[in-house]
Amino acid sequence: MNPDLLGPLMFAAAFVFIFTGFPVAFSLAGTALVFMLIGISHDIMSFNLMSALPERIFAIYENYTLLAVPFFIFMGTMLERSGLAENLLRTMGILFGPLRGGLAISVVVVGTLLAAATGVVGATVVAMGLISLPVMLRYGYSKELATGVIAASGTLGQVIPPSIVLIVLADQLQVSVGDLFVGSLIPGLSLSAMYILYVVAVALFKPKAAPALPPEERDLHGWQLFKEVMLVMMPPLVLILLVLGSIFAGLATPTEAGAFGALGAIFLAMLYRSFNLKALVDTMDATAKLTSMVMLILVGSTAFSLVFRGLYGDIWVEDLLLNLPGAEVGFLITVNLIIFILGFFIDFFEIAFIIIPLVAGPAATLLAPLFPEALEPTRLALVWFGIMIGMNLQTSFLTPPFGFSLFYLRGVSPPEVSTMHIYRGAVPFIAIQIIGLTLMIVFPHIATWLLTVTSSGY
Amino acid sequence: MKRRDFMKKAAAGVAASTVFGPVFAQTKKKIRWRMATSWPKALDTIYGGAETIADRVRAMTDGNFDIRVYAGGEIVHGLKVVDAVQQGTVQAGHTAGYYYIGKHPAFAFATALPFGLNFRQQNAWLYDGNGNKLLNELFADFNMIGFPAGNTGVQMGGWFRKEINSVADLKGLKMRIPGLGGKVMARLGVTVQVLAGGEIYPALERGAIDATEWVGPYDDEKQGFYKVAKYYYYPGWWEPGPTLHTFVNLKAWNDLPKEYQQIYMTAAAEANQQMMVDYDFKNPPAFKRLLAKGVKLRRFSNEIMDAARKEAFALFDELASSDKFYEKVYTDWKAFREDIYRWYGTAESAYLQYVASRS
Amino acid sequence: MDFLLSFSRLIDALNEAVGRLVSWLTLLMVVIGVYNAVTRKLSQTIGVDLSSNTYIELQWYMFALVFMWGAAYTLKHNAHVRVDIIYSRLSERGKAWVDVFGTVLFLLPFTAVVLWTAFPIVFESWKIHEMSPDPGGLPRYPIKAALIVAFVLLFLQGLSELIKRIALLTGHQVALASGSEEEPSL
Ligand code: NA
Ligand code: NA
Repeated sequence: MNPDLLGPLMFAAAFVFIFTGFPVAFSLAGTALVFMLIGISHDIMSFNLMSALPERIFAIYENYTLLAVPFFIFMGTMLERSGLAENLLRTMGILFGPLRGGLAISVVVVGTLLAAATGVVGATVVAMGLISLPVMLRYGYSKELATGVIAASGTLGQVIPPSIVLIVLADQLQVSVGDLFVGSLIPGLSLSAMYILYVVAVALFKPKAAPALPPEERDLHGWQLFKEVMLVMMPPLVLILLVLGSIFAGLATPTEAGAFGALGAIFLAMLYRSFNLKALVDTMDATAKLTSMVMLILVGSTAFSLVFRGLYGDIWVEDLLLNLPGAEVGFLITVNLIIFILGFFIDFFEIAFIIIPLVAGPAATLLAPLFPEALEPTRLALVWFGIMIGMNLQTSFLTPPFGFSLFYLRGVSPPEVSTMHIYRGAVPFIAIQIIGLTLMIVFPHIATWLLTVTSSGY
Repeated sequence: MKRRDFMKKAAAGVAASTVFGPVFAQTKKKIRWRMATSWPKALDTIYGGAETIADRVRAMTDGNFDIRVYAGGEIVHGLKVVDAVQQGTVQAGHTAGYYYIGKHPAFAFATALPFGLNFRQQNAWLYDGNGNKLLNELFADFNMIGFPAGNTGVQMGGWFRKEINSVADLKGLKMRIPGLGGKVMARLGVTVQVLAGGEIYPALERGAIDATEWVGPYDDEKQGFYKVAKYYYYPGWWEPGPTLHTFVNLKAWNDLPKEYQQIYMTAAAEANQQMMVDYDFKNPPAFKRLLAKGVKLRRFSNEIMDAARKEAFALFDELASSDKFYEKVYTDWKAFREDIYRWYGTAESAYLQYVASRS
Repeated sequence: MDFLLSFSRLIDALNEAVGRLVSWLTLLMVVIGVYNAVTRKLSQTIGVDLSSNTYIELQWYMFALVFMWGAAYTLKHNAHVRVDIIYSRLSERGKAWVDVFGTVLFLLPFTAVVLWTAFPIVFESWKIHEMSPDPGGLPRYPIKAALIVAFVLLFLQGLSELIKRIALLTGHQVALASGSEEEPSL
């Protein structure tokens, strides 16, 4: 067998195996094993290398960022099981009154904030899926719109600070994390705004997909409505805002805030007398399963990447990148495409490790002339480039058939929602992402303007 | 190198050895290794130590002994390099011994002890003294052989969000500081946190930690710590001259032709020197730039250093009383340390102090 | 087959018990997570060190136990996510065949490889009583050993699922977790 083909073949095999319907985590791990055997039989890698697998799982244990996953899932489940989430979103719906699509817009806003705060796709998508999907479906939203909004908002955290993706990218590009955070603010929030615009457009042109609450559900007015808002809507909203606020204000790390959020959800449930042993046991049980579901996909993915490296797949990617067409546009398109495809199966840490050191040099040389007026054109170009890669990865998390965000949402959606609903729902948001990415390429100042006005270094 | 060339060469190496027969075969033996490191590529000076070894070995063997270097996390997490070498997951590693004091406390002697030795003293103890010999007894228990392969020189004390004047100011302070330095700080009331490289900046920015140590001006400037913590303390008394090591799995080492073993040791020795050279060349301009950015430079007070030194030696004594091997190394190291500071305290330090104060 | 099915029921009961046990750890994690956050702030204010690496590490020890020991439980409840575009259109027998092949070719060998490679690592760690390198940290060898337990449980659950699928394919009566039956909202 031509060893040059092993890298691309691994991707093709994972594609086929996952499509059989066997659990994603074990299909990825299985692909790794099949190619490990090929690698050993062709004397490309030795079995010894597989000892890195337990070490990699130990490293997942100790990853402080991922600790936030069970906390946010716990908070989401508790709010959902106790009925608080439903009341919150229903009251929001009443408040939005006859405005169609109001619920979906609330989901984009809350989802964006939650995603931005946790920075972990799995935690956000699972929590938002639990809190808001049943409610949107109950009020007659199309399954596509409901799932698309959640899956897409859940990934936004990757390009809205604080974000783990941006931290790792900054480290690899050798630019300041703070600069990357500032630069990504406008692009990230613009995406969020474009999501909202899309929901509004659906509400206008396909009213059935994003209905207003039925009039009999909107029977509260004046004082009664105010009371309802204060009693039902405020407490969980305040909880979520406190959690987010404490992160943004620097009072707590995402992990700590997640722990507070989970405890807060328990107290709220007690306050509303919807807390009992069964609700607690259900919440813990769901948290354990969902956490395991999310984390085992990472375990499968780490096995896949290990063998990919074992077969020198990383050198294959290097070759692809080193033979890139020279002009800026050709370079950008190729880099983006490669990262996009890798993003399906390999988690972003690995991508950052493989790709960024290779492309940072050419990117700096090729792209710096695009910023002739800057004091430090190279650094500005790298910040822009980093945000673009972040946005690209975010898009690939959302893209069928293998975006991680879609898997996680599938894991919490009710049976009447099919995988195809989720896939179709993601498509318009991918279109938005592509528009966003194109705008970033055509108008780099979207990412760099805020940086040039806030920092004297540029 | 291109992947195709990489693979082809492997095949060519095998062919050459069969054509030219046994004499030639040994010198032309084709060997491919993987070297796991603890470092991100962004730490180019330290990561460079591993690359120096790989580059020199490749050059001296005409490309026949080919080592591919991996950044931390690429094969295994940066703090699990010894585990990977021990298990034979990779043939070699480049890391700091003191990351593994959880496995045996004597690993600390490989790198640095608080109030221990500087670069030259460390080398004297390791190469000419009993250091390397004793440590390789320890490494052998972990199925490895080790060689010094880099040094950063005396480090800085790190970045603090607020001023630390007395031991009382240290109580409850949350600081990122690994290894024995961390243990001493803990005895002084600091809450010690060990975070990976990329996690430190945001933790410091958001106040999840109050202080962090890193390396010195050149590396610290790139991390941008000066933007989120304005006090820059010195000296890094816990790392007066940390030696980085390359570890090689014993079986892989014994399978090497003698010639390649010599080449590897030479390359490691060169890395040991080159890293120090790089730091001494890169730190001064970075230091100047940091000062120009308004960084507030502070020296640890004698009160803090006295308390730290007392705790450090109390800790060493405790460890020595609980472990025979640690005691053996410690006794040797301590005697060497006393003698060399008597000597360094004379001509070396008087000259340095005078010249620096007049420059 | 009857013997195998009772073996399968035994495994199911074991993993059900383990799963329910570790689910309580999620609550304990919340409590300790809050404790860690509070004491960190408090220590800075009152100057007495209340926080400790013991609790900080305890948090991720429990996290590891939840997702690793819960993995078999999650498998038992069919809650590991699938891309079911084709799978959902298959007959019961078709689904069983996919699961038989996946379990035999992917899941069981994968767990076996992890166990095979993890054993010497855990043994070494246990032999030297490996500690956390950080002051106040916890011993590392128990949590490393927990990986072995996790993958033994996962291997066993894989066997149990395999037995149930084969029973179904050979015309025996078995109840398979569909995920949605037991957990209507999941
Ligand atoms: Na974020
Ligand atoms: Na240091």
